[in-house]
Amino acid sequence: MKILLVEDNERVAEFVAKGLKESGHVLDHAGNGRDGLFLASSERYDAIILDRMLPGGIDGLGIIEALRKTGNKTPILILSALAEVDDRIRGLKAGGDDYLTKPFAFGELMARLDALVRRSQRVDAETTLSVGDLRMDLLARQVTRAGKAIDLQPREFKLLEYLMRHAEQAVTRTMLLENVWDYHFDPQTNVIDAHISKLRQKIDAPFDRPLLHTIRGVGYKLAATQA
Amino acid sequence: MTRLLHSTSVRLALGYALLFILSSALIGGFLWWRTTGYLERAIDDVIVADTRAIGDRLRDFGLAGAVEIVNLRVRRVGDDRAIYLLTDPRRNPVTGNLAAWPPDIGDRPGWYHASLVRDGTRRLTRILYVQLPNNFRLLVGRDVEDREALRQLVFNALGWAAAAAIALAVLGGLLVRRAALARIEEINRTASEIVKGDLARRLPTRRGPGDEFDELAIIINGMLDQIQQLVEGLQTTSHAIAHDLRTPLAELRGRLESLLLRRPQSETAFEEVQEAVADVDRVIEIFNALLRLAEIDSGLRRSGFSRVDLPTLVEDAAELYRPIVEEKGASLVLEAPVGLTVEGDPFLLAQAVGNLLDNAAKVAPAGCAVTLSLTRNAEGGIEIAVADRGPGIPDAEKPRVTERFFRGDASRGTAGSGLGLSLVAAVARLHGGTLVLEDNEPGLKARLILPTV
Repeated sequence: MKILLVEDNERVAEFVAKGLKESGHVLDHAGNGRDGLFLASSERYDAIILDRMLPGGIDGLGIIEALRKTGNKTPILILSALAEVDDRIRGLKAGGDDYLTKPFAFGELMARLDALVRRSQRVDAETTLSVGDLRMDLLARQVTRAGKAIDLQPREFKLLEYLMRHAEQAVTRTMLLENVWDYHFDPQTNVIDAHISKLRQKIDAPFDRPLLHTIRGVGYKLAATQA
Repeated sequence: MTRLLHSTSVRLALGYALLFILSSALIGGFLWWRTTGYLERAIDDVIVADTRAIGDRLRDFGLAGAVEIVNLRVRRVGDDRAIYLLTDPRRNPVTGNLAAWPPDIGDRPGWYHASLVRDGTRRLTRILYVQLPNNFRLLVGRDVEDREALRQLVFNALGWAAAAAIALAVLGGLLVRRAALARIEEINRTASEIVKGDLARRLPTRRGPGDEFDELAIIINGMLDQIQQLVEGLQTTSHAIAHDLRTPLAELRGRLESLLLRRPQSETAFEEVQEAVADVDRVIEIFNALLRLAEIDSGLRRSGFSRVDLPTLVEDAAELYRPIVEEKGASLVLEAPVGLTVEGDPFLLAQAVGNLLDNAAKVAPAGCAVTLSLTRNAEGGIEIAVADRGPGIPDAEKPRVTERFFRGDASRGTAGSGLGLSLVAAVARLHGGTLVLEDNEPGLKARLILPTV
């Protein structure tokens, strides 16, 4: 992927750049808002990581608004030290696609970035999803694995759908909480783990090969083959 | 002077005085017009009519006719109030009750005020001088000495009234100014005391239905309450940060320092670093919780209130937490009727219910039920209660558990920032409600009570 990082803090930028390059991505870095907007509007990127508060006359929200006005639909992940719910809503309203509060774990950033890019490439007409021998029929709302029907509760279905749409990608617990439950706070205990283990009981336990993997320090990944 | 004019109270008083004087002048003018003015107009009318009658006579019957009617008038009126003088073109008297052309009358015909000496006294007379055909001249007049006396009387009366009006206006203006100023100065005085640091001071308000100043005072007092709450919130938050972030930071520091000293093999070092990251995450978690608490306590979130469908909210929370309760071998029972709504912040209410369920899940013994219930209580408020069969909270600790970072003896060794119940209590406060902790005999029953109005 070709990614633009607009971040004025050099150490954060270095940390993100190093991680992204190690994951095999191409990265451009802009240290202020003006350069960021210039690069974002003159080059094609798969995703933009954008700090909210930037020097250079134009801040993160300003860049998003300027890009969206010219019809640029590149997925944008906002980074911000502002954690209040209203700030998050403001960022998304301006046209950002996801919002990550500093400080963050690199795994979280990478997982969200992957999800954003995947979402932007998605064809909406999909009616079935499949990972290995696991199949999900979105119209009939049925799930089978190796031809055997699996009975899921509505929320389990939604959880599995999210995991299948992001198959072969790591998803974090926070992402699941936000996208499957629409909760925007950190529960003190890991409620998600319990839901995942229930889901595993249904889709993995009766079968030889597990599909739902735990990624240490990051979250989970649904994949046909464990990398 | 300019500074004085900038004072609202001075402008108010001046405006009041001006208005008072202006209205007095209007009334006085009207009085004048209706009394003296009226008399003057009536006399003028009579003189004009007289003049016209004599002129007509001269035209129709010649000089003799005019002389006749003048004589008739002089005799008929009988007193000396009416003045007539008909002269030839050289102003020699032809007839009338004046001996000679008065010196006060000029060359041009028109209205005159003349002072005539008659019967030994000087009397003011209103005279109309007209020229008749063949250059005969006619003076018709009326003694207006009486009217003048009345006019003087009215003038004097109005003058005194005007003086009184101005005096009253100034006095009234001063009173208005003083009344306004007294309240404002009271507000100023209290405000400067508050600025000096006495945040507990409040503006005095009268009991019962108050005036606009009382309304102002009540609004300002409300503002002061808010400010005081904010300042105190800020103080508690900074104390809490200073005090309680030290512990995990000290642990982190110790871990990293011992890593430096021991220089372990890479595998051990890797694990230690992983632990250190977990420590940092814990610090961040506490930090976020503190910021969230401060945000809630500031009351600023109230602007984002909307109608919250509570049955859906508790059902979602129950659905999210059921697996961790069941992992402990306990069960989660939900009692939620439909149709209860409240004006509030859906995210915070969800988090509050989540925190209560989280606490219950941590302590729930196997085989028992955790109950999440939504009810309307006797006072018309709404109550969301989470009851467990865990160890409960000793009575002595109950008032303290909603304090920041307080951890009861029973909870030591379990995960958590120690801010869970503080947050629930803060959410309750934000919604004008309370958090009540009760003995569930055995266990704990946490009741989040929200008013519906």
